[in-house]
Amino acid sequence: MTMTDIMPPGLALKKVDERIMTLNVGPQHPGSGHMRIVVQIDGDYIVACDPDPGYVHRGEEKMAEYRNYITNVPHLERPVIHDSCNVLYPYVLGAEEILGIEVPERAKYVRVICSELNRCIYTMYWLAIYGIFLGHSTMFMWPAGDRELLIDLMEKVSGARVTHAHFIPGGVRNDLPANFEDVCLRQVNYFEKRIKEYAAVFYDNPILISRTQDTGILSRENAIRYGTTGSVLRASGVDYDLRVKAPYDVYDELDVHTNVMKEGDSYARSKVPWLDMIESCNIIRQALQKMPKSGSVRTKLKPNPKTKGPATVYKRVESGRGSLGCYIVSDGKTEPYRVKMSVPSFRNLLAMPNLLIGEKLGNMPSVYWSLNYWPVEADR
Amino acid sequence: MGTATGIIRALNSGIKHLAIKRFTLRYPEEKLKFVGDGYQFDPSTGVGIAGLKGRHMLFHDHCTGCQLCSIACEGVAEAIAMVKVPEEQKQNKKSIMPQIDYGKCVFCGLCVDACPFYALYMTNDYELSSFTKEGLIYTPAQLAVKPYLTQDSEIQITDRGATHG
Repeated sequence: MTMTDIMPPGLALKKVDERIMTLNVGPQHPGSGHMRIVVQIDGDYIVACDPDPGYVHRGEEKMAEYRNYITNVPHLERPVIHDSCNVLYPYVLGAEEILGIEVPERAKYVRVICSELNRCIYTMYWLAIYGIFLGHSTMFMWPAGDRELLIDLMEKVSGARVTHAHFIPGGVRNDLPANFEDVCLRQVNYFEKRIKEYAAVFYDNPILISRTQDTGILSRENAIRYGTTGSVLRASGVDYDLRVKAPYDVYDELDVHTNVMKEGDSYARSKVPWLDMIESCNIIRQALQKMPKSGSVRTKLKPNPKTKGPATVYKRVESGRGSLGCYIVSDGKTEPYRVKMSVPSFRNLLAMPNLLIGEKLGNMPSVYWSLNYWPVEADR
Repeated sequence: MGTATGIIRALNSGIKHLAIKRFTLRYPEEKLKFVGDGYQFDPSTGVGIAGLKGRHMLFHDHCTGCQLCSIACEGVAEAIAMVKVPEEQKQNKKSIMPQIDYGKCVFCGLCVDACPFYALYMTNDYELSSFTKEGLIYTPAQLAVKPYLTQDSEIQITDRGATHG
């Protein structure tokens, strides 16, 4: 009989034994993000864990019901401001289908480039926090600095460092600036060279390996059973990436390689996003090469576009954390009737209680943050 | 690979950075250069022109007081209010023009997309801090002023790493 059988995750707050002490990690703890993790420990070992999200709930889905398809754009990207293009992507794809508009070919490529840049920006931020949680200050400083190379590119494209509000139903807000291809290629190549240097200082570092290997093992069966997505699923040996399995926009014309690791431990979960970043650099180079050199990037649309009648649509994309879905119900008015977002952070969080049981308390940050969890997105 | 070798390799990778140039931007002395003169929008094609989404710039001779920018902002930030323009200033038939509260503005630029008369653009000015809330409210007269900018620093990639030069 395992610990999981004795105490299912939902009942972690129940008093069991005199020996057991209950600890609150968060919501003000810097290691928890905007959430509380209730852990029960026996000595140094975690016997039960109950994550308690919901501290940064903003009602994004309800807000979307009072705004039209265009004015929804600036606030729906707020849940993950570093990954704002990817958060908007499924909504924009869905809104395009409901409004019945075609997207120009060049806009699709611009979207792919922005989406991959945003994935790298998000992952670098995540990696910086993962590094500082494990006490590795260098791994905090380097990604936080090298992230600037890509933020600079996104700033040139969209005019904002975060919360770009760049994707819009019908394409993208503006065309790429002049000479962007050369600048992008130069900075992305240098960025790739830089992140490959992280291997020596972080991923091949024996101290990191001893702290993260064989902790929080998520088996292939459990990864599928809990419904995890993205890097967590791929680190457990499941080859699943929406860019390959269900390509959207022009991903079917690009050669996307999926990174899979079989171990399913914290180390694998922290390494897969890093490998994905190198793959993103490849995709950006391909997209820059295949992109039509001229043409429109946005279908002309009124500020308050009319829908074609009642419709429902579900679109999903691969974000920096995993598959991100958006379900839009339209009743024929200018505002959506319902917008529901199915976010990867929340799904990955469901696996956490079972990963932590039996681990030492000191391993909690490495397991928790390796789940690629972003609290604001889970609450939205 | 042994533990000792791994640690030496990690240290070595860090030591190499002694020879790499500083990447940090020394902000008030150096300022980043942006593409173009700020985010603009061409209503005839329906596509924007790339640029920084900074403080707005209002062209009084183009503004008709149609309130479309204010309506576009309603669902986003409610930052734009239409106010009466003093008589001595240049004005339109309705004599109303947008006034923007930068305490509320999220710099999404949807108001620029909404303007059909080439009257409202954004500029590269992003230094808007003020000691009072009232100081963040820009009247039509303040919005008409072209910002004075000294931005010339760009990311340069050299053999010794990236730097702001």
